Amino acid sequence: MSSLPVAPPRPEWSRLVADSLKQHGAWHTYWKLVEARNAYPEDLALRGYVEIVRNTVVLELIGNPKGMQAVPRLSAEFLTNFDRFNLSAQEGYLVSLIDGRLDLQKLLILSPFDPFNTLFHLAKLQQERAITVPQ
Amino acid sequence: MNKYTIAQRITTPIAIVTERGGIEWRNTAFDSIFGADAADWLKEAARAVAGERGWLQGFFLAAEDQRTIDVDIEGRTYRVDKIMPIDEYDEPAVALMFEDVTQQREMEQAKSDFTAQIVHDLRGPLSGIQGTLEFVLSQESAKLETVYSDLLTEAQRESERMMGLINEILDFSKIQSGSFAVESEPVRVAGLLKRAVRSLQSVAARDEVFLLSAHGRDVPQIIGSVEKLTQAVINLISNSLKFTPKQGLISVGAQIVRSDEVADSIVITVTDSGVGIKPSELAQIWEKYKQSGSKSLRGGGGTGLGLYIVKQIVEAHGGEISVASIEGVGTSMVLKLPVRRAA
Repeated sequence: MSSLPVAPPRPEWSRLVADSLKQHGAWHTYWKLVEARNAYPEDLALRGYVEIVRNTVVLELIGNPKGMQAVPRLSAEFLTNFDRFNLSAQEGYLVSLIDGRLDLQKLLILSPFDPFNTLFHLAKLQQERAITVPQ
Repeated sequence: MNKYTIAQRITTPIAIVTERGGIEWRNTAFDSIFGADAADWLKEAARAVAGERGWLQGFFLAAEDQRTIDVDIEGRTYRVDKIMPIDEYDEPAVALMFEDVTQQREMEQAKSDFTAQIVHDLRGPLSGIQGTLEFVLSQESAKLETVYSDLLTEAQRESERMMGLINEILDFSKIQSGSFAVESEPVRVAGLLKRAVRSLQSVAARDEVFLLSAHGRDVPQIIGSVEKLTQAVINLISNSLKFTPKQGLISVGAQIVRSDEVADSIVITVTDSGVGIKPSELAQIWEKYKQSGSKSLRGGGGTGLGLYIVKQIVEAHGGEISVASIEGVGTSMVLKLPVRRAA
């Protein structure tokens, strides 16, 4: 007897991602999920988990008392040693907009990228300590 | 006595089909009702469910998803009633039993027509109420005392909810009656998502939730129904709004999935930082009348049809749908739609 092909079992993403978020934080979990996405390109749910973690990252940036009125500033480390930072084209463009006066809301208006990804790139710059976002 | 003798004599049409060989065996009732060219329309019906994945897969998928395969022959409708795997062949095989559902379909149609008429009659006056509330709130909000302004805003919120429920019932009745046709027009996905986000931006602002687009302008066109796909995305955002607390975030994104440098599908995501769904409930959320055990943060229940309708819309476009959720962190609804080019 032959049987129809059966897909291999997929990891239990919900539990794995929840545990990773608790133990290692959003950024570590995000990079692990990006690796996993290459290993499971057809797994639609996995793409959803990547988006949940990206949402968490952006919410950490804007979910503060100042919200979208927080003003990002270039860090001292970036100003003195900027060639240490390996910025993407988008991140480089966003850094060029940061002047210590424009708040997140105004940066969204000036950015040529979509609002969510603009905030995601800013959160990544903050995580890499190229900018600070005082609350 | 041949082991198929009983099956040969009963009046229920039965056939055994194999992946490679088409119809391997059939009983007399099957022959007399469906005739010699049965293999052709059976393949067509199964492909409508499974695409090009192999026609036998269609029957398994239909059984797993509780979808029905109906066949219309000379004014009567036959439904594939039972699908049973058969292990006597060198390749995958199933036995199919058919049921005459002509009368059932006629009753469903009558019920659907009645529902459509009722829903249409309800929508008219409700639109009038919504328009009046919107006018009063836009013209007089500065002069109204806060208590009246709050009450009118609450009335507006409830009328929006009622309109949503009525529309869901209308769509559901169309799906049930089989009249849920999908148009074949070019759909600009980026524009569609932008419109969906814009239409709910004021609701999100009122609920103090961030609602952000997460896609560029370079998303390719697909072929389908602008109206129904917009409705699917609006349903998902509305659903997220119910379960996302104040200062939460909802993002609406689109990614291109390429094979050999050619875009072959678009993945649309609606992701929220809401209360999440229990792992044990994830598999059932697409079923009709199913509602999450999580309580809506904005009050009021629903019909339990919203996500079921979204699934029907996506599948009618040849797409797939999935969900990711972590309790207390958020939920992401993921739609995958094929990029079909106009011929």
